[in-house]
Amino acid sequence: MSAVTSTTASAADYDGLLLQGGQWRGRSFTGLRVAVLAPGREAALIVPDVVRTARSVKVFQEEPDWLVAWHLPLPRLLARPAARLSLRWSVPDPWTRRRLTPDGRFNTRRPRVDGRYYAALRQPGCTLITWPVYAFVPDGVRSAEGIEHRVDCIVLGTSSVFATASSREDVPA
Amino acid sequence: MSFDFDAMLQTIKDKQWSLADIDWDAPGAETVTDELRAKMKPFMADLVWIEHVGARGFASLATKAPTPTIRRIYEYFHAEEQKHANAELALMKRWGMLDEDGTPPEPNINVKLAIKVLDEYGDGLPLTGLATLIPLLECALDGALVKFLLDEVSDPVCHQVFRHINSDEARHITVDFQVLELIGAGPLHKLVIESVALLKPQVVLGLIVVFVPLINKMRDNIVAMGLPEQKLYNAVKRFATIGSRGDFTQRIPAYHVLRAQAAMVVDRTSPYHRLLADPMVRLTSLVPARLLGKPQAWVDELTHEPIAS
Ligand SMILES: [Fe+2]
Ligand SMILES: [Fe+2]
Repeated sequence: MSAVTSTTASAADYDGLLLQGGQWRGRSFTGLRVAVLAPGREAALIVPDVVRTARSVKVFQEEPDWLVAWHLPLPRLLARPAARLSLRWSVPDPWTRRRLTPDGRFNTRRPRVDGRYYAALRQPGCTLITWPVYAFVPDGVRSAEGIEHRVDCIVLGTSSVFATASSREDVPA
Repeated sequence: MSFDFDAMLQTIKDKQWSLADIDWDAPGAETVTDELRAKMKPFMADLVWIEHVGARGFASLATKAPTPTIRRIYEYFHAEEQKHANAELALMKRWGMLDEDGTPPEPNINVKLAIKVLDEYGDGLPLTGLATLIPLLECALDGALVKFLLDEVSDPVCHQVFRHINSDEARHITVDFQVLELIGAGPLHKLVIESVALLKPQVVLGLIVVFVPLINKMRDNIVAMGLPEQKLYNAVKRFATIGSRGDFTQRIPAYHVLRAQAAMVVDRTSPYHRLLADPMVRLTSLVPARLLGKPQAWVDELTHEPIAS
């Protein structure tokens, strides 16, 4: 495990509803303030679903990933420029776009096909947060900008840096 | 002898603190008298914005980090500078320096110019430039501004907050200079190429128009409030001393340029002030803020609330 993913915080310190693995699927979040902790490739899967019913969603996106809206028969070389264009079109705000842009030097994953994440982030009540989470507390999570974010439910992605070894099944690169 | 950045990242994670750890209603706020409040309000406003702009600087630095671990460290520093700004805003709130809603103070024109330049060019600056500029600003902040504040204000909550902030800053300065060592140890041709990139007219102009008056205005403000200039001088000396302790930092041209500039800043008799810095302060004060357009959304991320729900 690289230093980037090693961590000492434990989701067990959270007292609210904690959903791991696929537990978020097919569930209603009506009335709930939800936090989603996951890297971009997985948040792209979870957030559009959760945002449909939740009162509010805070997306603590760990590492951004490239996404393309459609399956295009592009050679590998063009996959990333296509993802960059897709991001440019879907996210007009430059600061948000910056936080959704992977570091091309260290993130070598191929773009995933997803046409819903960027739109979900623009829903009212949905907030993208890229500050590192450093602790779970009984009422929510604390992140490194010094704020405690209180939520009723935490959805922990299986490839989150906080996923326990047992629930961990990395989304393939 | 090479520095263990992985261990540093782990320490950074272990040392995190939260605004929610602090009792913002604890006694002591009354030590800030009306007179002190009036005197410190503009200083605190500048301090909040310098931390906030520093945060943005680390965000740019993260995109240039030489390794994933250093990138992660910079992401934490980005967040920590934001935390410092938030905590100082919470102190302003505690001392009655903000309105009912706790609206952050308006940045002055020099801060606005710095925001504009960071938004436009920050991510494009080569690593050596930013990595050298940031420790200079951190030394000045740490060595002069913060010490001045702690001399002036006796509120125990303020001192509690700054014990956290100073411990963060000690790690920032350690990493800042270790990265300079890493860069300085790299191949010479890379240093030359990056230094040439720093000489691009828009970069040089940006630095002169933005940072020269920003620093001078700040100096004027705090000297007017009674900060002994000796403290500023010590802060700059620290930049030179730590830098000269390293084996490789001195191979970086940008380090020498900034060190020389810093030496002129603290020397009041230097023609630098008469010919460049002071005229730039006057000139920039004439820039209408609306010309700069809307800053990017990160400027709206300041908050004094320890808990968000
Ligand atoms: Fe700071
Ligand atoms: Fe700092």
